[in-house]
Amino acid sequence: MSTMRANQLKTGMFVLYKDQPCAVVKCEFYFPGKGSAFARTKMKNVKTGNVYEYTFKSADMVETVDIDTVELQYLYGDLPAGKAGGDTLYFMNPRTFDQFEVPVSIFEGKEKYLLAEMKMFFNFYEGIAIGVRFPLKVTVKVTEAQEASAGNTVNAPKKPVIIETGVEVLAPLFVKEGEMIIVDTETGEYVSRA
Amino acid sequence: MSNWIRYNNLVKTFQKLKQNPELWQRYWVRERVIDAIREYFKGQGFHEAEVPLLLPAPSTEPFLEVFETELKDDQGNKWQGFLPSSPEFALKKLLSAGSGSVFTITKSFRNGEGRSSRHNPEFTILEWYRTPGNYMDVATDFEGLMRFILTFKESPRRSNHLPTRRLPTRRLLEGGSQLTYQDKKYDLSSPWEKISVAEAFAKYASVDTETMLNGSLLIAHGKRKGYQVTETTTWEEIWNQIMANEIEPKLGQNGPTILYDYPIAQAALARPAKDPRFAERFEIFMAGLELGNCFSELTDWKEQEARCKADLALRQAQGKLAFPMDNDFIDALKLGMPPTGGIAVGVDRLVALFADTPDIADTLFFPVGEMFA
Repeated sequence: MSTMRANQLKTGMFVLYKDQPCAVVKCEFYFPGKGSAFARTKMKNVKTGNVYEYTFKSADMVETVDIDTVELQYLYGDLPAGKAGGDTLYFMNPRTFDQFEVPVSIFEGKEKYLLAEMKMFFNFYEGIAIGVRFPLKVTVKVTEAQEASAGNTVNAPKKPVIIETGVEVLAPLFVKEGEMIIVDTETGEYVSRA
Repeated sequence: MSNWIRYNNLVKTFQKLKQNPELWQRYWVRERVIDAIREYFKGQGFHEAEVPLLLPAPSTEPFLEVFETELKDDQGNKWQGFLPSSPEFALKKLLSAGSGSVFTITKSFRNGEGRSSRHNPEFTILEWYRTPGNYMDVATDFEGLMRFILTFKESPRRSNHLPTRRLPTRRLLEGGSQLTYQDKKYDLSSPWEKISVAEAFAKYASVDTETMLNGSLLIAHGKRKGYQVTETTTWEEIWNQIMANEIEPKLGQNGPTILYDYPIAQAALARPAKDPRFAERFEIFMAGLELGNCFSELTDWKEQEARCKADLALRQAQGKLAFPMDNDFIDALKLGMPPTGGIAVGVDRLVALFADTPDIADTLFFPVGEMFA
């Protein structure tokens, strides 16, 4: 454990706030106009999920929390197709073959883009998975798509298609069943053909 | 995190607009809000003035960092130039010259600040000055303006041009007063909640006025509450930390709150209040946003000159970029500035509010984070 000044805080860091390990989910610096800088933060308790808002002076000392980061590969989970939900997902360390249980909640809805054997980095605190760096883009197969009729393409119209994880994505009219497309997991939007 | 930013920057706003035409609706809110502001103030008899964006001397803000540039002519002469951090001095020169009530919607610039959802280094600012008037007259203007924008924004557009002058203004003025922002409803009907800084410290932070105004008492109080205090901690730091953590979250929850009469040390350009420990300044808070900062303007040129010099000295002491004093500003005040209430409002925040989005970048066609990746 080490300390740093609040002016070095960044989103994604892990700090100790009121003796609780917290992820910094938002951090913005501002000057109230007369002098010193402040860091307006939103922190999430990684054990309880409680969210705190606190404004630090930029000179305040903040304790950081030691987090282990490890890359794991998705094995299986009981996710209802195309929906968020379920409780536990199973991942494996591809080097040691150790298996890990990961609570679905840390995916914050992105579990609906999970594909078999997908690899990603997890943060562990005292042996418990508390955060995941989900791939920003996933390449997925289109399993259902209506044939689009030619017509107005000026306003870039979209149609709903179903991807292999069961999720509906709005894609351009030219996307066909069986094609691979890239989807932005942050926004759920179609990016391009793969 | 840096990956995330870089990736998002791959898709620029103009590309998103092409891909997803429904987004236009959100971006055009800016146009409607700005139309509404013009319509409102012109209906109130204000003049609109243009102010320069290239200046030989910016406002003497002691803490803001400015943008510097250079003016050249064809003879090889050079002048140091700056982008304004606010239109305030220009408008006060006009007020001193007898413009009467005046407003501007213009660009201002602040350098050296962190990126955030509430700031863009180049921003659109609305300033208006009511004369004769004071800060509470400006509060009344703000109440009318916000309801006018709300109704104007909802009213049907006739064409791509400004609505005609014969728009039923009275109906607009009496129009709706419910604003929904991020799934919460806010009531804009008058009167807005008003609370003095002294009352707010007592009510929300259990700090009495004597303690609030006293350096060592307030620092000791802050320490008891668990704020970090070191040898270099100042009154201003603890004051702002209590404000941010204990008071601001309580303001503007159901409608706008006017927080008024700031300690004199927190109001460099304002006239002292009846209690001389305070100055006639207010800020407006709603939905976690600070919407405007208002003063009964200081009109005494001697006092103003002294404060400007002190501010420039403070800049120098902090090692900030040095710039000359705007002597024209002092000369203008010598002509006699009438009693005036004035306010600065961040138009980008206002637009974000009416566009119902938490990030001002969602309302800018060219946010700085996209252009300077």
